[in-house]
Parts: sequence; structure tokens; C-alpha cells
Amino acid sequence: MGSVDRCDKTLPLNQMMFHVRRDRTLRERWRTDLAGLAHEFGLGAAEYEALRDKDVRRLHELGVHQYYVPQILRLFYGASANSNAHPALEAYKRAYPEESAQALELQARLAARGPKEG
Amino acid sequence: MAEIVAAMALTHSPGLTGWFDAAPVDQRALALEALGEMRLRLEASRPDVLLMFSNDHLLNWPINNTPEYTVGIAERHVGPADWYDEWLALDKYEVPGHPALARHLVNAGARQRLALAHLRDMQFDDGISVPLHYLNPAMRIPLVPVTMNCTVPPIPTPARAYEVGVLLREIVRAFPGPERVAVIGTGGLSHEPGGPRYFWVDEEFDRWFLDLLKAGDHAALLRQCTLDRMEEAGSGGTAELLAWILAMAFTTGPAEVLAYMPALAWRSGTGMVVWNNLAA
Repeated sequence: MGSVDRCDKTLPLNQMMFHVRRDRTLRERWRTDLAGLAHEFGLGAAEYEALRDKDVRRLHELGVHQYYVPQILRLFYGASANSNAHPALEAYKRAYPEESAQALELQARLAARGPKEG
Repeated sequence: MAEIVAAMALTHSPGLTGWFDAAPVDQRALALEALGEMRLRLEASRPDVLLMFSNDHLLNWPINNTPEYTVGIAERHVGPADWYDEWLALDKYEVPGHPALARHLVNAGARQRLALAHLRDMQFDDGISVPLHYLNPAMRIPLVPVTMNCTVPPIPTPARAYEVGVLLREIVRAFPGPERVAVIGTGGLSHEPGGPRYFWVDEEFDRWFLDLLKAGDHAALLRQCTLDRMEEAGSGGTAELLAWILAMAFTTGPAEVLAYMPALAWRSGTGMVVWNNLAA
């Protein structure tokens, strides 16, 4: 069982994300009327609030499929040059400080090891 | 009868095109060298069609209906999908399909109790777009895309993927045409897209998995590399290696590992392999 098993396949937000990613009009609605869009797709109050607050950890806890969470952040922050320093990904670092610190340590170790062993 | 002429597998992470320059220079050089070598070997096999195994990133199918496998049967495929073009930093492309072979897969599969969904308008995310960019840049070689679900539970097991790969191998060979078919698996290695370990790669797992491929004992790999082991190495992402296992089912013996990089900047263990012995 991995973290992906925590997803709630019946959660309305998971259905909404499928349609938003495929429809430019819905993406525009996301920017101008997120509350109305959430209402139309039947999101509960907790889902909507976690979405509005870009709360990565809460979105996971509610059962949003984890692949969709960075995509939600993309809808808020944009996609350009999606490096690990992108604001969308800073939200992840705040949500999972322990895991992110471990990743930074790994990055430092790999950098110290140098290219020959990479 | 169609002929299998090549089998290979590679990572398809969006960073390989979308934010390629974020990785250290040595990783970029290694990736480009290996991808160039793959392309040369692919071209040397003179394929008439690319049979590409990848996974749908919740783009073609909503979460309430995720078929295990889906075949793109269009005359021409267009990508990347609008949602992905900026993310991948790729221009729109158009690549010919091979509807006769694609429809043969769907119908022959059904007769052998293998359910293959199909789409006439499959949308393309990183899983197909990134490998096409590097291996078929002129978009000249026709494509039959086969996507699987490896991210919405229940996720199929590696043993199941191999079983399906063997079936598909026989179905492709039974195609009534002289086509030379190159098989390409895309995805992996360790990564956890959108999960708590989003920035992590599991280098130990990746090197262990590649060593299993190099050892060439397919049964041993399937015994040891369980779905649980893949999930431990990155949930919802590492299981993209099921596409590699599908490709492995078209081969015998070991794979040759062209490159491996624990590419944190691309948020994915990154590798390229070729099998030199195709199943008889």
C-alpha cells in the first residue's frame, strides 16, 4: 500500500480535475469563479476550502488523487519552468517538511559525489 | 506476419523536455548521449511502426473509469494535449497512426479474453510525447500507442503486465502484414508524482531493478520486483515500470543499460535500456 492508495475515487474534486484539465473554458472559470465551479461539481465545504487554501496536505487527506495535487497548484501558479524552486512546489515543501528535507539532503549528497559516479 | 525488430525502454519524465536545463550538466549530457544512441539503434532496426507502451496520467480517462489498457487507433495522432504543451515545452506535433495494427490488437485481444479499450482521439501527455520527441523527432515512423493504468488503484501487478505482454507479442506477430514493429516501454524509474515524496528518487531501488534487467532472468525479476516493492520506491509513479515489463515480454535474456541518473531535478530516476535478444 503506497500513498496513492489513500485516494478517494468517488471524491467530486477528482472528477472536477479531469474535466478542468481538458477544457479551456473551465480553466477560465477556475480563475474567475472557483466557488461557482466547485459548487457545480458538487464539492463539499472541506474540499472547496482545501482547494481555495492550496493546502497540499489537506487535499491528500481528503482523498484527492496525489497526481492531481501539483496540477491544482499549476492552475493557481502557472506551469512555466516548473523547477523544484517553483512557487507551486514550495507549497509541497511546506506541507511535507520532513520528506522535503530528506530530498534536499539527498540532493546535496549527489552533488558532493560528483558526476563520475552519477 | 509482422516481425518484432527492436525492444527498448526509457523514462518519460516531463523534465526531460520541460525543464531539462534544471539538471546538472553531467546528467544532461548522459541523458542526451543515451537518447541519441537509442534513436540510432531504433533507426537501424528499420521499423515500420512504433508500438509504444506508456500510461495515462488521468488525461484520457476519468478516475471513475480507468481501463487497464487502451489502444489509440487513429489515422493520425496529435499532441501534446493543450494542458501539457506548456508543461512539456513542446510544440504541437502530428504523427501517423497505424489503424490496421491498432484495431487488430483490440479485436484479437478480445478473442483472447484480453480487454483493450480503444480511443480514436487519444490525447497525449508526457508518456508518449517525450519519447517521441527524442526517438522519432521527424514524426515519420507511424505510432500505435498503448496506455495502461498504473496510478489509480487497483494497479495491475508486474506478473500481470508480463502476461499481457506475452499475449500482445503473439497478437502482434499474428498481424497479417509484413510490418516491422519496434516495441518501446516508457515510464519510471522511481518517482512519486504529487505524493509526499515528490522530490525524492530511490536510487537504491533503481539500480537494483536495472541489475535485475541486466541479469536477464525474467521469472526472477517478476518474483522479486513486486508491486509493493515498486510502491515503496515511489507511490503511483514507479509502477510506470510496468510498461518496461510489457516490453521485456517481447524479449529473452538481459537488457543492456545505456544510462542511469538519479535525476532529482527531473523528479524521477531516469534510465534508458535496450534488449538485444528478441523472443523467438
